[in-house]
Amino acid sequence: MAIFGLWVINKAGGLVYERSFGDGLPHLTSNEYLVLAGTLHGIHAITSRLSPTGSSSGAHVISGETFKMNILLTATGTKFVLLTSLVEPTADSMLQKVYEIYADAVMKNPFHTPEMPIRSEAFDTRITTLLG
Amino acid sequence: MTIYSLYIYDRHCACVYYQDWHRTVRPKLAVEGGLLPAVYAPVYPSTNPDDASYSNRNTLASSSGVVVAVNEDVPRTPLPTQSSHSPIAQLPPPPTSSLSFDEEAKLVYGVVLSLRNMIKKLSGKDEQFTNYQTSTYKLHLYETLSGYKFVMLSDPNADSLRFVLRQIYSGPFLEYVVRNPLVEMDSRERGIDNEYFRMSTDRLVRGLTVFQ
Repeated sequence: MAIFGLWVINKAGGLVYERSFGDGLPHLTSNEYLVLAGTLHGIHAITSRLSPTGSSSGAHVISGETFKMNILLTATGTKFVLLTSLVEPTADSMLQKVYEIYADAVMKNPFHTPEMPIRSEAFDTRITTLLG
Repeated sequence: MTIYSLYIYDRHCACVYYQDWHRTVRPKLAVEGGLLPAVYAPVYPSTNPDDASYSNRNTLASSSGVVVAVNEDVPRTPLPTQSSHSPIAQLPPPPTSSLSFDEEAKLVYGVVLSLRNMIKKLSGKDEQFTNYQTSTYKLHLYETLSGYKFVMLSDPNADSLRFVLRQIYSGPFLEYVVRNPLVEMDSRERGIDNEYFRMSTDRLVRGLTVFQ
C-alpha cells in the first residue's frame, strides 16, 4: 500500500506533470521521465490493436514484480498514470479523484495553456493532500 | 476465463512458435518473407499447400520410428469447388485481424521489449515486467536466462500465468525442443514447431483451471 508517483501525459504524448512520492522507486532525471512518458504513449496505442477478441481499450494496468502502473485515459486523450505498489485496490478511484482535481484546478484556470506543462500551485497542494 | 494465444520469441527477436485457442479474431496470413517457416502452419505464406519447406517439421514419424521423407508428387484430385449458388446459406467467415500475422508478432515483441525496458528503468534494478491488462485481454511474459520470451494472452481477469509459462518452458520446451536433436536452436532460419511440442503444450494449457 504505497504510492510512488503520478504522471499526466497530454494527448500528443508529452509529459505535462510529474510528481514522485516517497522513495520506493529511484528518482530519475526529468529527461528520462519525458522519454518514458513518450514510450508509454506509443505502447498504449499499440496494446489496443493486439486484442484477440475484437476492439479493446489500451492497457489499464502494467505490472512489474514490485510495482504497477495504473493508467486512466480520459475522453480527451489525456492520460493519468499512477505508480503504486502491487496491492493497491484504491488506485482506480484515486485516479478519478486526480482527474477531478485536474478539471477543477487546471482546466478551469484561465491562465493555463492547454497541452502545456502544469504549473499551478493549487493543483500541487490538492494533489499533495490526496496522495502525499 | 480463457486463454487466447501463446507466442515464443528467441533471443534474436524472431517469433519461433505460435499457438492459439478461443481466439475470435483470426490471425491473417503473414506476408512472404515476414515469418520464419515452422512457426505456425496456418499463417505461413505458401502458394503450394504441399510445400516441403514447412511440412518438414522436426518430428520423426511416431508409428514406425523410421524417417520417411515423402514428397507427394502425385497430384491429388482437386476437391469439387463449391458452387456460389448453394441453397444453404454459408456461415460468414470468422473476423480476421487487420494486421498480418508477422506484423502482429512484431508488435507483440515491440510492446513486450519496451515495457520490459521501462520497468527496468523505473525500478532502477533488475526487475522483470510480468503482465499488463486491457479491457479485453491480459498479456503475460516469462523470459528465460537464454533469452527466450514466452508471451501468453489470456482473459483480463486471470491471475498471473507466469508459472504456466515456466511450466511450458521446463516441461514440453526442454523435452521436445531443447533435447530434440532434430530442432536446430538459434538457427534464425526456422521456427521450432514440432508435433510433440505442439501436442503437449496444448494438453498442458487445456488442463488449466483458467482454460474453459
